[in-house]
Parts: sequence; structure tokens; C-alpha cells
Amino acid sequence: MEYKDILKQVNDIFIDVLDNEDIKLTDETSAKDIEEWDSLNHIQLVVGIEKHFKLRFKSSDINSWKNVGEMCHAIEKRING
Amino acid sequence: MQPGQKYTHSFTVSSPVYEGFIHVFNDRNPMHTDAAFAVAHGFKDVVMHGNILNGFISYFVGECLPVKNVIIQRQSIKYALPVYLHDELEFTAEVTGYFESVDTYEFKFFFKNKAGKKVAAGEIQVGMIKH
Repeated sequence: MEYKDILKQVNDIFIDVLDNEDIKLTDETSAKDIEEWDSLNHIQLVVGIEKHFKLRFKSSDINSWKNVGEMCHAIEKRING
Repeated sequence: MQPGQKYTHSFTVSSPVYEGFIHVFNDRNPMHTDAAFAVAHGFKDVVMHGNILNGFISYFVGECLPVKNVIIQRQSIKYALPVYLHDELEFTAEVTGYFESVDTYEFKFFFKNKAGKKVAAGEIQVGMIKH
């Protein structure tokens, strides 16, 4: 799967989970840029991403993500090997 | 708790449960309180409030799981058949997923009545709160 497709699908998950149609993620987007991206919604985002892409991360993985780009690159690495 | 693990519990929609729900939430819709009204709309008696079942789910999560540091993060329920006063319901929940990254479990559940018919089913997402 190409990186841009992963970013698009992650964007769709954010829109669905955070119920905000205006979300347009970039690699630099972080929690401080999206009001609804709080700690509880972060759990729903991670669960949504893991279920959608049929993969599982460890807490040490997700704690290292500083922005959407690091999240999507981690997904890409797991999907494409 | 492991994926595939099942939990069961029996609940009864007793008079104290029914009356307590009405007392606390004040939902006296005639479907729930007027037998003639409920019968006129196709039911055999007053129909119990659907959210009484959510109270039973709260009990399951809070009291029946083997850990206590739990919080419900998400829940959905679909109602299939009416529940009546004094109905005995068999609740079954199965762990369908574990998300180690966020220490969260996912369950699928259903309630069956004494006739063995599913009256409601859904999903619960339960997070473990760290110390």
C-alpha cells in the first residue's frame, strides 16, 4: 500500500472517530492541532487504526509517535514489511 | 482475560429494578407503565426500558470481570425483542479483541430470555486504568 493511501485511510478514521468532517491530516499534524484529539479519543483512534489495518501495536510504539507522519510511517512499515 | 474467553451472568428484571429505574430516570412513557397502552400497540404487557439492560452491562463490567481498574470507553446495543417485568435474562459476553497498545479489551455480548431468544446484542470496549 502506498503511503498516500495510508494517510488517506487514517484521515477517514480520524473523521469518523472524532466526528469532524473538516479534518485534513498532514505528516506534521499532532494532537495540539485538533481540538477533539484528547486522551480518550486517542484510544479510539488507535483501536480504529489497528482494526482497520488488521495489525497490533505495542504501547511503546504508540508512545513514540510525535505526529501523524510517525503514526502513518509505523503503519506503512508494518503493512509493507 | 484472553480473546475467546466467555463470561455469563443471569439477570432478572425484578420489580425493584423496574421501579428503581423509573424512580431515578422518571421515564413514565405509557409503553413502560400502562399495560392497556402497550397491549394496544402489539405487546403482551408493559415493555421494560431498554436501558435497564445497559445497567446490567454496567454491573457486568464493574463487578463480574476479574479486574476492577476498568472503565467503559464505548458501547453499542441493538434490541431485538421486548423484555417484560420478571423476565430472567442470560447474559453472555466474549472477549473478541485485546489492544495492548492502549490496554483495551473488546467484547461482544448478548442477552437471551428464558425461551432462548436473543433480546439484545452489542459490543463493549473496556479500558484498563493504570495505577
